[in-house]
Amino acid sequence: MDLELTEREFMYPGHVGCPGCGAAIAMRFVLKALGEKMMMVLPACCWSVIAGPYPSTTLKIPVIHSAFETGGAVASGVRAALDMKGDTDTTVVTWAGDGGTFDIGFQALSGAVERNEDFIYVCYDNEAYMNTGIQRSSSTPYGAWTTTTPGKDWKKMRKKNIVEALAAHRIPYAATASISHPEDLVRKVKRAQAVKGSRFLHIFASCPTGWKIPSEMAVKIARMAVQTNIFPLYEVEEGLHYTINYKPKRFPVREYFKIQGRFQHLKDEDLDVIQKMVDEDWELLLRKAGEHA
Amino acid sequence: MAEKAQARAESESPIHIMPRSTLSTEANKTGSWRYLRPRYEEKTAPCSAACPAGEDIGKIEMLTAQGLFKEAWETILRENPLPGICGRVCFHPCEGACNRGEFDDPIAIHSLERFLADTAERYDLKPLLERLPGRPEKVAIAGAGPAGLAAAWFLTQLGYACDVFEASPEAGGILRWGIPLYRLPLAALQREIAQVEAQGVRIHTGRPVTPDFLNDLETSYHAVYLACGHGRTTALRVSGEESDGVGDGLKFLEKVRNGETPDVKGVSAVIGGGNTAVDVARSIVRLGGEALILYRRRRQDMPAFGDEVQMALDEGVKLQELVAPERIGKDGSRTLVTLRHMRIAGEEGGRGRIEPDGDRTSRIVVDRLFKATGAEAAEGWHNPPASKEALALSHCVLSLRNGRPALAWGGDLANGIKSVAHAIASGKQAAIALDTLFREGPDSILPRLESCTVGNGPSLSMEIHMGGERRLRNRHVVAYGEINTDYFRYAPRMTQPRLVRQERARSFAEIDLRVSGNIAMREAERCFNCGLCNQCDNCHLFCPDMSVIHDQSAQGRHIDYDYCKGCGLCVVECPRNAMTLEEEIR
Repeated sequence: MDLELTEREFMYPGHVGCPGCGAAIAMRFVLKALGEKMMMVLPACCWSVIAGPYPSTTLKIPVIHSAFETGGAVASGVRAALDMKGDTDTTVVTWAGDGGTFDIGFQALSGAVERNEDFIYVCYDNEAYMNTGIQRSSSTPYGAWTTTTPGKDWKKMRKKNIVEALAAHRIPYAATASISHPEDLVRKVKRAQAVKGSRFLHIFASCPTGWKIPSEMAVKIARMAVQTNIFPLYEVEEGLHYTINYKPKRFPVREYFKIQGRFQHLKDEDLDVIQKMVDEDWELLLRKAGEHA
Repeated sequence: MAEKAQARAESESPIHIMPRSTLSTEANKTGSWRYLRPRYEEKTAPCSAACPAGEDIGKIEMLTAQGLFKEAWETILRENPLPGICGRVCFHPCEGACNRGEFDDPIAIHSLERFLADTAERYDLKPLLERLPGRPEKVAIAGAGPAGLAAAWFLTQLGYACDVFEASPEAGGILRWGIPLYRLPLAALQREIAQVEAQGVRIHTGRPVTPDFLNDLETSYHAVYLACGHGRTTALRVSGEESDGVGDGLKFLEKVRNGETPDVKGVSAVIGGGNTAVDVARSIVRLGGEALILYRRRRQDMPAFGDEVQMALDEGVKLQELVAPERIGKDGSRTLVTLRHMRIAGEEGGRGRIEPDGDRTSRIVVDRLFKATGAEAAEGWHNPPASKEALALSHCVLSLRNGRPALAWGGDLANGIKSVAHAIASGKQAAIALDTLFREGPDSILPRLESCTVGNGPSLSMEIHMGGERRLRNRHVVAYGEINTDYFRYAPRMTQPRLVRQERARSFAEIDLRVSGNIAMREAERCFNCGLCNQCDNCHLFCPDMSVIHDQSAQGRHIDYDYCKGCGLCVVECPRNAMTLEEEIR
C-alpha cells in the first residue's frame, strides 16, 4: 500500500495500549497524515492512559490533557489562543473516545461546532468505555455485552448515529473512516486538514480487550464492519452533500457477530433483527447520497 | 549546580501551573508482555511444488509484475533451462495448483513463462547465473532431448564438463522431431539449445550411443547419463498392423518436422489419445487431409491437453470415442479397420475403466492409419535395470558400480509421466545426485535430494542445492485459506491471443501469439505470490507499537522485539503468509 505517508513517526514505542489496540493504529495514521504542525486536546479516554503516565509521553506533538466533557471547549480555546498569537497554520485536533464524544463531551462538541470553531474533532470509536472497564456508551451497538449490559441484559438500544448528529449542525466536513482502510482514512484526514471551520472524523477503532476478540484479528474485524455495511465509509459536506466512499458487496452481518466474544449470546433471530437494522441504515444512507439500492 | 538551581527555580515558578511530561515512554519495554512472537518466514507456493522442475513461480511473477523481466527470466533459468519451450508445450500442472484458482482463475503461468523467454530473445539477453568453481569430473550424456539438455545445463552450473552425444543430425530430441511447429517453432527451440551450449556444454550430433560406444565413454568419463528417450511407437498388437497402410505416428511427425510433405489425401485414422495422436491428426489437417482420431476411452479420459483436443476439433479433426482396433485389413487400395466397441465400467486413476461392449464391432475404411498409442525405448538395452543394486529415484535410476563410472538413466527411460517438465526434473535430479556422489559419496545422495525438495517434493530446486536464498524458505505449502484475500481484487485471467481457426488450419505457423509487456505485467500482478514477501509493507503500516522498523536488509525491515507486544496483526494482515506467529520461548 502506498499512502504517501511520511516515514517519520510521531509516537514513541513503549505505550501501554493493549496488544492489537485499534486506537493506537488510528492515532498513528492520523498523526502521520497531519504532520507535526498540530496541537492535540485529549479529553479523558483510553488515549489519556496510552499517552503515558506523567512525566512520560508517547506523543511527539504538544498535547493538553483535559477533562472528560471539555473536548470541544478546550479546542476552541486553544484555537483562539493560537489565533491571538497569529499562528493560523497549526492544526488543532481534539482526540476523544466514543464516551467523550457521544455521551459526556457531546454538549461541548455541539456548542463548538455550532459556532463553527476551526478545529478537527476526531472520535476514535471503540464502542464502549474501555479503559475504565468496558461500560456501555451510546455508541455501543445493539446486541453487545458490556459490564453494564451483562448476561441477558445485553444492550437493546441502537448505536447513536453521531455523524448524522454532526451533519445536522451543517459543519463543513464530517466523515467516517476505519483503521482497516488506511488509504481512505489518510485521504480524509488530509482533506479535513485543508478545510476551515469545524471538521469531524469518526474513526472505527476495534478493541481486542473490550470486544473479546483475538488481538491479531483487530484490523480484519474492523474491515468486516465496513464490508458488511455495519460501518459504512462516507463523507458529508456542509451537512448536505453525501459521498459514499466504498460500496461493499454487502456480506451478511452474521460473520462479523459470530467471531466476537461480546456478541456470543446473540441467537440467529437476533442477528436477523440486526441485519434488518443494518439494511435499513444503508438504504437511508443511499437515499441521502442520492442513490438507490 | 547553577543549572540545577535554575531548573528548580523554574519548576517552582508560578507560571508552570500545568505539569508537563518531558520523558518518552521508551523506558517501558513492552516486549516483555509478549507471549507470541511474529517473524518473517517465507513459505512455499503450491505452483512451485506442483512444477516438476520446481520453478520459483511466486517469485518469477513478482519480478514480472515489477517489470524486472530479466531477473524473472533468470529465476526460471536457475531451475529450468528451457522456459521458451516449457512456456509453449508444458502441460502446466502449476496452474492446476494455483491458489488464485479458488478466488477467480489461476494465473496464466505458462503464458508468462513464454513471455519472459520471448522478451529475453527480443533483447538478446544473456543470463547472469551463479556457477560453482570447476570440478575435475567429466560427464557424458546420451541424448540431446530435454532431459539430456537439462542434465548438461545443471552439471555445467555445478562446475562439471559435459559432452552430449546425439544420434540425429540436430539436438532437441522429441522437441525437434516430435512436436509440430505450430506448437513449438524451430527458432524458439534453437535459441534455448544455443543457450545451453553457450554455458559451455558440447553437443556432438550424429553420434548415436551404441553398447560399444558406451564402453568407450566409460573409460574417459566419470559418469554417463542415458537419456535416449522413448522414440519407438509401441505396437498395437493387432493382426495386420504391419501392412503398408499403417504408419508410425512419431515417424510421421518426424518427416513433417524434417520439412517433408507426406501425402495425406483422403481420410487418415489415428489410433491413440495422447498428445502425439492429436499432433498427428492436426498435422494431417494442415497438410490438406482429413483426420479421424480413434480412442478406446472417452474424450475426458484423453491424456492429451484439453485445450489441444478442443483446437483439433475446431480445426475439423474428428474423434470417435470408445473404439479399439481389432483387425487391420485391405479394401482394395484402402485400409479396412475393424473396431471393437468399448464401454465404461467404472473409474480407475481418475479416468474411465473400459471393457468390451459385448460383441459390438464395426468396420471403417480409411486411406491410411497411424499408430500413436504411446512410445517405448528404441533399444531394449536403453531401459534401466530392475536390479536391486540400482538406486531407483523419482525421476532417474542410478547404478553405482564399484570402480566403474556411475551410470544414470533418465528422461522418458525412467519417468512415470513422460513430459518435457518431467524430463527436466530428471536432468536436475541426476545432476544433484551425481554432484553429491562426486563430492560426498553415495550415502549422501538420498539425504541431499531430500534437502533440496520444493515443498514436500518430489520437485527439486537447484537453487537450494547451490545454497541460494530459497533454502531459507519453510517447506510448508501455502493453502488458499492462508491468503488474506481482502487485499486482492477480482480480475479476469488474461486471454491468450491466438490465430483464428481459418488461419491456423492450413499452416504450421505458431498458434499462440506473443503478448505485450503490459498484459504480462497485469497478469503477473494477479499472482498472490503465496508465501513470499513483496515488500507491501502492511506489517509496518498496521503495527500499533511502531515495532516494525525499516532497514537496509534484504527483508527491508525488522521487528523490534524490545517493544513488540506480539499482537499478531502483522501476521494476519500479511496478504501472502510470508510471516509466522509462534510461541515466545523465554
